[in-house]
Amino acid sequence: MGDIVVLLKPALNPEMIRGTQDGSVDFDYMPLKLSDIDRNAVEEAVMLRDQYFKGSKIYSISVVTWGPASKRDKDVKMAVQEGLAKGVDEAYIVEDDSIVPGDPVTTASAIVAVIRKFGLKPDLILAGEATIDGFSGQVAGRVAVKLGLPYVSFARKVELKGNSIVAERDVEDYVEVVEAPLPAVVSVTREINAPRPPTLVQIRMASRKPQHMVKLSDLEGVVTPKRRLAAARVLAVKRKQMIIEGKTPEETADKLLDALASEGVIKA
Amino acid sequence: MPTSMVVGSSEDDIAEALTVARQLGDAVIVAYGNVNTGSLAEYGHKVYHVKADDPESVFLAVKQVYDEVKPSLVVAPTNKNLKDALSRLSGLYDLPMATEVFNVKVSGSSASYTRGFLSGRALEDDQVPLPAVLLIAARKVPRAQKSQAKGEVVELQASPAVKIIERRPKERGGVNIETAELIVSVGRGFRSKEDLKLAFELAEALGAQIGCSRPIAADLKWLGEDHWVGLSGHKVAPRLYVAIGISGAPQHLAGITDAKVVVAINNDKSAPIFKNCDYGVVADLYQFVPVLTKRVKERLHR
Ligand SMILES: Cc1cc2nc3c(=O)[nH]c(=O)nc-3n(C[C@H](O)[C@H](O)[C@H](O)COP(=O)(O)OP(=O)(O)OC[C@H]3O[C@@H](n4cnc5c(N)ncnc54)[C@H](O)[C@@H]3O)c2cc1C
Repeated sequence: MGDIVVLLKPALNPEMIRGTQDGSVDFDYMPLKLSDIDRNAVEEAVMLRDQYFKGSKIYSISVVTWGPASKRDKDVKMAVQEGLAKGVDEAYIVEDDSIVPGDPVTTASAIVAVIRKFGLKPDLILAGEATIDGFSGQVAGRVAVKLGLPYVSFARKVELKGNSIVAERDVEDYVEVVEAPLPAVVSVTREINAPRPPTLVQIRMASRKPQHMVKLSDLEGVVTPKRRLAAARVLAVKRKQMIIEGKTPEETADKLLDALASEGVIKA
Repeated sequence: MPTSMVVGSSEDDIAEALTVARQLGDAVIVAYGNVNTGSLAEYGHKVYHVKADDPESVFLAVKQVYDEVKPSLVVAPTNKNLKDALSRLSGLYDLPMATEVFNVKVSGSSASYTRGFLSGRALEDDQVPLPAVLLIAARKVPRAQKSQAKGEVVELQASPAVKIIERRPKERGGVNIETAELIVSVGRGFRSKEDLKLAFELAEALGAQIGCSRPIAADLKWLGEDHWVGLSGHKVAPRLYVAIGISGAPQHLAGITDAKVVVAINNDKSAPIFKNCDYGVVADLYQFVPVLTKRVKERLHR
């Protein structure tokens, strides 16, 4: 009892954004990395396992949504490897060019198909509240409803009590403590923990852990709507970028206030 | 047969969503929580109401109405509880769902929209086939008008499996940063909580609200989360945004794209904020901010 599944996405790294000449995002040249908030999810999985169910296993599932798969292979392996180094025991990677570019409909159905196909029986499925590329935060909810499991979103604190999970949900205006029976799906926020970097030994051991590559033909019930690649343009907010300098701080302050007054944003 | 369904918990949210929904013709409203259903009925659409406001109850109510009405479009504001509730509806029927969308155009068979992408560093123009679920960005759409006809109000019940044990309101600094006209925002460049008073004094002299970067609210907890600006915080649109000791990470910048004028004060001339501001001052905040405050006081209040 007590296995955990954690959803880890190799996401486009926004810091490495590249534009083409016409200003559109050059997806082909953007590397993938383990999505930041998924790092918190895997950290929480390890802490919960160590605290409540020692000896049980942590599985991770990653669906490759940015392709072509052959070109992304290295980035994907690195992201998954990071999870394994942090304490995941076995990884499942769904890599198939026919679902690229992926979308949440496909991703959620592929995750559910992996869980069913490989007979995973998790008591807990953990995910980050959203991924850093799309940031729409919908995969965990989709997985929960497809599996018929209770869903607790935006958890910033999680404890187990008997056969239930007690979580603090972080909503805009309030914090809500909820209790849900296990098995359950939980999405976590960045505030839930401070992820520890894996040790060298952990990193070395990670390469020996099983990584199962999964093709769509291995899976049943994956929904693949025909998605085109959305047109995305690099957001260029035009700012003046004027550096204000003066001989004294007073002079700099005055020049700044003059500029703001001439913009009409203050009356000084 | 109504073609859209609008979901929300406040009249403002629902009126904005209705503007999008009415592109397809008639709509129904699913309202949850403590709302004035009488006032909502004045928009002329049938109003379903569930008193509970937890995401599971909202999902169950929305599902019930969805099954009955079979709308081609579901429109709601973007917030955490609706991301939760509507991702479940979307998952149940494999509907496409997009969050924080604006510029929404709906035709009989598809919806197109724009949304932020890559932690706010890009915009994507996307199109999804109907039926679809769209969570719209706040305050980018005008409110729908009320109508002559009054819609019927139907009360719904829900019995969720997830039990709410306790709910505590978050501490509010009494700010609504999203509607502030002037914002003085503080970051990790401040060495202690006490030092924030330098920014408070400037804000007071300007008549500005206080904003902050994520670490100030989330890690250090020097300020409440209602001050937090950015991708995972609040999106602001002030006339003037003064970023003090903030490096200008993309996730922070994602919250200030709609600011008219951005001023940066930072002692590192290579900080990314200088590429993303209108006026930059390369200076130690401890030296410069008090001088700026003094000059603002002298000039604004003399
Ligand atoms: C998924 C995700 C979501 C996120 N969401 C948000 C969000 O909503 N909002 C947000 O803000 N961040 C968010 N972040 C975090 C973001 O990436 C940055 O870590 C954060 O914005 C940095 O805050 P900062 O600029 O205050 O601190 P730092 O990056 O540490 O910058 C401090 C700055 O202060 C300057 N400084 C230091 N001393 C002085 C001095 N004496 N005088 C003047 N300047 C000085 C330094 O030069 C530096 O530029 C998110 C990150 C992720 C991964």
